[in-house]
Amino acid sequence: MSLPSVADSVEPVGATVGSGPPEEATKRSAGADLWRAIARNRKALVGLCILLFFVVLAAIPGQIAPDDPRAKIYPRGLGPSVHHLFGTTAYGEDVFSQLVYGTRQSILIAFAVGGLATLIAVLVGVSAGYLGGTTDGVLSLITDVILVIPIFPLIIVIAAYERNAGFLTLVVVLGVLGWSYGARQLRSQTLSLRRRDFLEAARVRGERRSYVIVREILPTMTSLILASFLGAALYAVLFAAGLQFIGLGNPNSQSWGTMLYWAENNEALGAGMPYWAIMPGVCVALLGAAFALLNYAFDEISSPALRLRKLENTGVDTEREAKAAVPARPPDPKNILEVRNLSVAYASEHGPVVAVDDVSFDLGRSEFLGVVGESACGKSTLVYAVARLLGAPLAGEITRGQVLFKGRDMVTLADRELRHIRWRDYSVVMQSAMNALNPVLTVAAQMRDACEAHSTMTRREIEARSKEVLRLVSIDPVHLYSYPHQLSGGMRQRAMIAMALLFTPELIIMDEPTSALDVVGQRSLMVQIKELQERLGFAVIFVTHDMSLVSHFSDRLLVMYAAQVAELGRTRQLFDRPLHPYTQGLLEAFPSIHGAKERLLGIPGSPPDLLHPPSGCRFAPRCPHVMDRCRAEPQRLLEVDGELVRCLLHEQAAASVPAKEGVA
Amino acid sequence: MRFVLRRLGFFVVTLWAAVTLNFLIPRLMPGNAAIAMMARYKGHVNPQALHAIQIAFGVNNHQSLVSAYFAYLGNIARGHFGISLTFFPDTVAHQVLQALPWTLALVGVTTVMAFVLGTLIGLVSGWRRGSVVDGALPPLFVITSAFPYFWLALLSIWLFSIKLGWFPESGGYEVTTTVGWNWTFITDAVNHSILPALTIIVTAIGGWILTMRNNMITVLTEDYVRMARAKGLKPWRIMWTYAGRNAILPNLVGFAMSLGFVVGGAILVEFVFNYPGVGWMFLQSVENQDYALMQALFLMITVTVLLAILAADVATAILDPRTRERG
Repeated sequence: MSLPSVADSVEPVGATVGSGPPEEATKRSAGADLWRAIARNRKALVGLCILLFFVVLAAIPGQIAPDDPRAKIYPRGLGPSVHHLFGTTAYGEDVFSQLVYGTRQSILIAFAVGGLATLIAVLVGVSAGYLGGTTDGVLSLITDVILVIPIFPLIIVIAAYERNAGFLTLVVVLGVLGWSYGARQLRSQTLSLRRRDFLEAARVRGERRSYVIVREILPTMTSLILASFLGAALYAVLFAAGLQFIGLGNPNSQSWGTMLYWAENNEALGAGMPYWAIMPGVCVALLGAAFALLNYAFDEISSPALRLRKLENTGVDTEREAKAAVPARPPDPKNILEVRNLSVAYASEHGPVVAVDDVSFDLGRSEFLGVVGESACGKSTLVYAVARLLGAPLAGEITRGQVLFKGRDMVTLADRELRHIRWRDYSVVMQSAMNALNPVLTVAAQMRDACEAHSTMTRREIEARSKEVLRLVSIDPVHLYSYPHQLSGGMRQRAMIAMALLFTPELIIMDEPTSALDVVGQRSLMVQIKELQERLGFAVIFVTHDMSLVSHFSDRLLVMYAAQVAELGRTRQLFDRPLHPYTQGLLEAFPSIHGAKERLLGIPGSPPDLLHPPSGCRFAPRCPHVMDRCRAEPQRLLEVDGELVRCLLHEQAAASVPAKEGVA
Repeated sequence: MRFVLRRLGFFVVTLWAAVTLNFLIPRLMPGNAAIAMMARYKGHVNPQALHAIQIAFGVNNHQSLVSAYFAYLGNIARGHFGISLTFFPDTVAHQVLQALPWTLALVGVTTVMAFVLGTLIGLVSGWRRGSVVDGALPPLFVITSAFPYFWLALLSIWLFSIKLGWFPESGGYEVTTTVGWNWTFITDAVNHSILPALTIIVTAIGGWILTMRNNMITVLTEDYVRMARAKGLKPWRIMWTYAGRNAILPNLVGFAMSLGFVVGGAILVEFVFNYPGVGWMFLQSVENQDYALMQALFLMITVTVLLAILAADVATAILDPRTRERG
C-alpha cells in the first residue's frame, strides 16, 4: 500500500513494469495528494463532517447545551419535548445537555488513545521492519502476542483491580494494548520499502538511521499511519463506552458510556425510557462510524485498485459507431489476424488516456511479429486488447477498430463465444510466470482446468498431454505435480509456454516472456520458442522492449511510440535501414551482438504524457532531426519501400498513403 | 513441519504471557485488591478458602515474588484455579465448565457464521464490482461494523422483546424448563439465543464483507486471474478457484487476528442478555470481586481464542501450499 501520486494515477499502461515516476517525486508530493484525494472521496468527507461536528461539541459544550448536565432541576423521566430534546434522566437532568457534555470525553479518549497507540505502533513497527534481525524477531513476537490476547477481557481484568478507572487510566491501558495491529501493518510496509532505491541511496550517502527513518520512511507511510490512528481511535471509543457501560468507569464522569451505565441501572428499556440508552449509543455509533468511514476511505485512497473508474463520455467513438466507421473489407485468408484502426482508452482522474491510437497491422499464418517500444508506449495494452484481455488492472476499453482473428471480429464477439476460441485457437504467455500461475494450484491442476474447459479428454488423456507439452519445452514431467513456487524462474516460464501449447493454437501472444530471466536464460528460451514455432507452425506476436533480442527471431517488427505505430516493416530491412529517428535511437540504445564496438547513445528525454500528447509528431520533442512542420501537424503513416513509417523525413520517398490506414 | 513447530511455540509464548499477566496485574495494582476482597468475604466463607486466596494473591505470606510465581505456574499447569467465592464451595474449574457450552454454542457458532457469510457476500460483491449491490453494501457495513455490540443488543431487546414481544428479553432458557436433552429445553434455548446471535452476526459480518471484498478486488488485478480468463475458463471457476481461493487467505489471517476483538464484543452481548455463558460469568466475577474465577475465565477465553486461531492456521495451510513449506 503506497501512496498514489498524480503521476501514478495518470500512468496509462499498467502492464509495463518499472515505469513509475522517480521515487523522490512520489515522496514529496504525498501530503498534498492526500488532501486532494480526501476531498474527492465521499466517504472521507462524510466521516470528516461527523468528526468535525463532534469536535465542535467537545470544544464548546457550554455554548450549545441549554443546561448544566449535572443539574438535577427538572421533573424525573420526562419524555422528549421542545424544552428537553431527548427528555430528562431518572434524576431529573437534561439528557441533551448530558450528551453534549459527554462528547468531550469520547473525543479526548479517541485522540489520546489514537495518538498513543499510533506512536507505539510507529516506534515498534518501523524499528522492527527497518532494523531486522533479532530486534525484528523480538518486536514481532511481542506484537503478535498482544494482537491475539483478547484485549477487551484483559482490560476488564485490569479495570476490575483498578476500580472506577479514570480518564488517564483508560487512555494508558487502551493505548498500551491497542497498538499491535497498526505496528504489524507498518512493519510490513517498512520491510517492503527497505529495498527501494531511495532508501538504498540514503544509506549509500551515509545518512544516520534516525534521519533515514524520519525523513525518508515516515513520509511515504502517511496514509498507513493515519489508518493506524483511526483504527485505534475507533476501538478506543467503543471499548471505553463498553467499559463504562458495564460499570468499570467512573460513575460520576460526564461521558456517553456513563450515561449508558445509568440507563441500564435505571432499567431504561423496561421503564419505557429508551432515550436514555438509545441517544448515547447513537452518539458512540456515529463517532465510531466517522472513524470507520475515514479509515475505509484511506484504504481506498492508498490502494488505487479499490477505486472504480469508468470511462465516461470521452469524446472517443463508442464501439458501435466505430464499427460503422471502419470500411468493411473482407479479411485476407492468408492472414491469421488483421488489426484495423484499433484504439484503446483508459479512464484516469484527469480524463481519458488513449493508450493505443489507431493501430493497424496484419499477421500471416506462422509469422513471427515483434512489437517493440519503451515502457508505457502502449505495446502491452495493444496485445491485451487484441486478446480481449483488458480489464483490471488494465482497465482500458476498446474505443474503436476491429480485430479480425480467423475472419471473425473479436471486438464484437460475445464473452461466451470468445471463451470457446480462447486457448484452443490462441493462447497467451505473460511476462512473469510467478504472477501468472495461480500460486495455490499445481501446474497439473492449471493445465487440467484448461483442458476441461475446451475438450472432453479423460483425466488420463489430460495427464498424458500435460506431460507431453512439458517435454516439448524440456521440462522433466516429474514437475507436473509441483506448485509454481517450487519451480525455478526459468522452469516456471517454460511451464507457462507448455501450458500455452496444450491445444497447439494457431496464435500465441507473448508479453515479454523472457524479461524476468538472465541473459543466458533469455537467449535459450528464445531459441526454444523459435524451434517450437517452426515445428508446430503457430504465429507469434512477441512484445518486448529489447529490440536486439527479438530481431534474431522475428519476421517483422512493429515499433510503437506514444500509443502509435512509428514504424512497421521486415526485421532485416528495419535493422539495416531504420527510417524513423526513434527506431534509429532504439537501435543505438542496444549493443549489437556481432557489430563493431560502438558508443551507445540512447534517446534523450522521455516519452510524452499520453493525457496531453503533443499536437504534432509525438516524437518531435526528442527528435534530433526535428523541423518546424513536425510540431505543427500530426503525422500520417507513409509507405516507403513496402514499409510503414510515421515521419516527415520520408515524405519525398513515400509512395502513397496506404488505403487501410486511417488518418491518425 | 517447522511451520507447525513455530506456530505451536507462538501459542505457548502467548499462553505464558496471559498467565503471567494474570499473576502480575493484581500485584502491580495500587492498593491490594486481594486484601479488599478478603475483607469483603470475611465471615461469609470459611477460613480455608480465605487461606487459599492468601496464597493465590500473595497476601500476608512471606514467599518471594519469584517462588510465588512458580508456585502459581505449577497450580495452573495442574488445572488448579482455586475456589470460587461467588459459588462457594464450588471450584472455579467446575463453574467455568458449566458456562463454556453456552458460549461455544452462541459465540462460537455466530462468529463462524458471520465469518463464512461475510466472506461469501464479500466474494460476490468484489466479483460483481460496481453493481448496485456492491455500491450500496460497503458504506452500509462500514457503519454497522462501528456499532457498539452492547448498544445494538439494547436496541434489539427494546424493539423485538419489549415492543414487539417476539423473543424473550434475557437469559439462556426459561427457569421453569429442565436443563437437558429434551425438546422443550432445546427449542427454548434456541429461542433465547436468536436475538443475541443476530446482534453478534450483524455487527461482526460487516468487517468480513469489507475485507473480503477488498481482497477480492486486489486479487482480480493479479496476472493469474487474467491468465484464467485467457484460458477461457468459466466465470464461476475463475471466481472460486482463482480469485476466491487466493482472496480468502488474508481474510483467514484477519479472522485469527481480530478474534480477540470479536470475543470482547460478545462478552458484552452476553452481559446485556444475561446469557449464562463465559462472558456473563466473567462480568459477574468482576462485579463480585471473585478474582480467582475471573482469572480462570480470562485464561479460558484466551485459550479458546488461540484454538480458533489454530483452526484458522490449519485452514490456511490446507488452502495455501506455500505456508506448508515455509519455515
